[in-house]
Amino acid sequence: MKRETKGKRRSPSAPAGQRAKEKRGDSEVVKAYREWEEGVVKERLSPGGESKPQFRVYTGIQKEETQKEFLTGGGEIAVKRLYTPLDLASTDPLQDIGFPGQFPYTRGRDPVGFRAFQWPLSFYSGYGSSESANERYRDLCAAGSNNISLAIDLPTQNGYDSDHPMARGEVGKVGVALCTLPDMERVFSGMPLDRIHTGTVGNCIGPWVVAMFSALGERFELDPAKMKLMIQNDPIKEYTGRGTYIFPPRVAIDLASDVVEYIRKYLPAWEPQYNCSTTMRWGGCSTSQEVGFGVANLMAYVEAAQRKGIAPADFVPWINLHMTADNDLFEEVAKFRAVRRLWARVAKERLKTEDPRVLALRLTVFTGAHRLTAQEPLNNIVRTTVHVLASILGGVEHVVTPAHDEALALPTFESTRLGQITKIILQEENLVGQTVDPLGGSYFVESLTNQLEEKAREVYQKIEDLGGAGSALEKGYYLREMAEGMYRYQREVESGQRTVIGVNKHVVEKEVPIKLFTGDPEAEKRQVERLNKVRKERNSSRVEKALAEIRKVAESKAAGRNGNIVPAMIEAVKAHASVGEIFGILREIFGEYKPPTII
Amino acid sequence: MAKKIRILIAKPGLDGHETGAKLVARVLRDAGMEVIYTGPRQTPEMIVQAAIQEDVDMIGLSILSGAHKEFASRVFDLMKEKGVERTPVVMGGIIPQEDIPALKELGVKEVFGPGTSTRAIVERIRKEYEKTL
Repeated sequence: MKRETKGKRRSPSAPAGQRAKEKRGDSEVVKAYREWEEGVVKERLSPGGESKPQFRVYTGIQKEETQKEFLTGGGEIAVKRLYTPLDLASTDPLQDIGFPGQFPYTRGRDPVGFRAFQWPLSFYSGYGSSESANERYRDLCAAGSNNISLAIDLPTQNGYDSDHPMARGEVGKVGVALCTLPDMERVFSGMPLDRIHTGTVGNCIGPWVVAMFSALGERFELDPAKMKLMIQNDPIKEYTGRGTYIFPPRVAIDLASDVVEYIRKYLPAWEPQYNCSTTMRWGGCSTSQEVGFGVANLMAYVEAAQRKGIAPADFVPWINLHMTADNDLFEEVAKFRAVRRLWARVAKERLKTEDPRVLALRLTVFTGAHRLTAQEPLNNIVRTTVHVLASILGGVEHVVTPAHDEALALPTFESTRLGQITKIILQEENLVGQTVDPLGGSYFVESLTNQLEEKAREVYQKIEDLGGAGSALEKGYYLREMAEGMYRYQREVESGQRTVIGVNKHVVEKEVPIKLFTGDPEAEKRQVERLNKVRKERNSSRVEKALAEIRKVAESKAAGRNGNIVPAMIEAVKAHASVGEIFGILREIFGEYKPPTII
Repeated sequence: MAKKIRILIAKPGLDGHETGAKLVARVLRDAGMEVIYTGPRQTPEMIVQAAIQEDVDMIGLSILSGAHKEFASRVFDLMKEKGVERTPVVMGGIIPQEDIPALKELGVKEVFGPGTSTRAIVERIRKEYEKTL
């Protein structure tokens, strides 16, 4: 028997089909693997090996491997010299890998992948004043975009009016200032709201964002249900990343589920949430933590929606998990495959469902802005291209790219467009995506997928043991892990253990002049004047009444009773109550979150 | 043994991207300094108040929102008002090259951009501190 199989291996000229039919035992592969290690590998790495004729090349060849240990970009997994069928010995081709569009969705959610898909052009935008945002949106529409992302300034995202002391200097800086409904009307004036897809962040002000868009539709004589809005509505990320939190986490999760309930009941074309673990990765968490945090957070929201009577099948299909694509191409591809599989398995166990609408997780990627460097910004175009490639190979549904000069300041129109075009070039010129899950079956990628899923499940379990995402957040678990990871990363860069071109290797001492977008310096003054005008002209008794209703609903919620804040918000917004007035009342009732200091 | 440098690391404004500020805080602490980290959402008034209360030798401001000029000028105005304008101020974050001269004109001693090595930050802060002695 032994001699027979050995004989077969020595006849590589046998037709491939015939060879595949012969089932080989693992022991034979183990033996061949050992022979390879002891043979050509040892020979190549022995003294003088690099100059042997069969290995010699003209330039670049090294005597030894460049590192003692090779690790994935996330630093958690040792990468072997070679992966073989042995690495997949316990991987079941049907149960673990399967087919696209089928449980456990390792190979993707869409059974035909990118074969029936066209990247849309979309731009995250909205600078300064409402007029300049409107002008830009009209330009974008004219340039072929059907997808508008609205960036809102920080005071608004924190529920402050433009004349609040905390708002000074920040009005219109990272987005448009929206105090009252007339600001929205100006931003979207003349835009075909029923034909474009609008998206915005609005995490801790989610109910108010829904109210503003809903009231805007009415002002434009459109049925709000006919508009298409995608809202992030993910407060959890604010406690771990961007920091525009307002209320204690549990209050915020409850308010987010008000949005979910309202949208699912009355605005079914809207997308009520996208959960974001992007900023957690950017803030230092590991690859498996990005997956584990994402799955745990998603579960927290699904269960919060269930408490409002929204079944997972009425919620999960409208949401998606927002991740990043980091530098390690293969690890990132594996990560997207692993997160789909982990979600499918965890959701199946925990929500006790076989429903594909619940188990098939949709993914959006905001590519690795945290890996772009201020030094030699053109290098960032290469980095982003690979991030996009990883996303496509990983079978994600949506990719958003930062501009290559983002590490220096807010991006320009040209640099934003370049990032967008990258996806289209990869799909239509480089022909990536002609087959579904092209790396499926790769010994290496499947092995990474397995390891990442396993590690991420441990992370998920840890969060569950801490009492779920809300509680883990309050206990500082996420922040501690992120701070550790960030510190480790920085030390690796500074010791040269981790290469960052232009920063610690191949450094060019040269300033690269980049054209930067500058905010409108008059925006703040103009915005405050406008706000005062609205305050003067509105019907103050209608405002008082609407605000009193918000107070009533909020107090009832704070007392533990059921209730949804969105309808009261809609009336307040229509009465031209300002964002600061509305959130001022909620702050009073729910209290404000004070972050633990973890450095 | 030399006195420990006391430094306030503060994040003015509403921007909550505090990864950089926290990293620098930790690195300075590891380098033997006493670091007081304010956390985000500080008004210039709160920052200057904390600097006085904590009797710090230096102030570090982290700003990524683009509002660096406004915040720096308000911090310096308040420092003058309270008579602590001799305390050196350094900055970090996303700050365009073209804005740096204006910030230095205001009195900012150094602006650390993305990718600055933490070693360089520690050295620069020590140097600035020695000048105050």
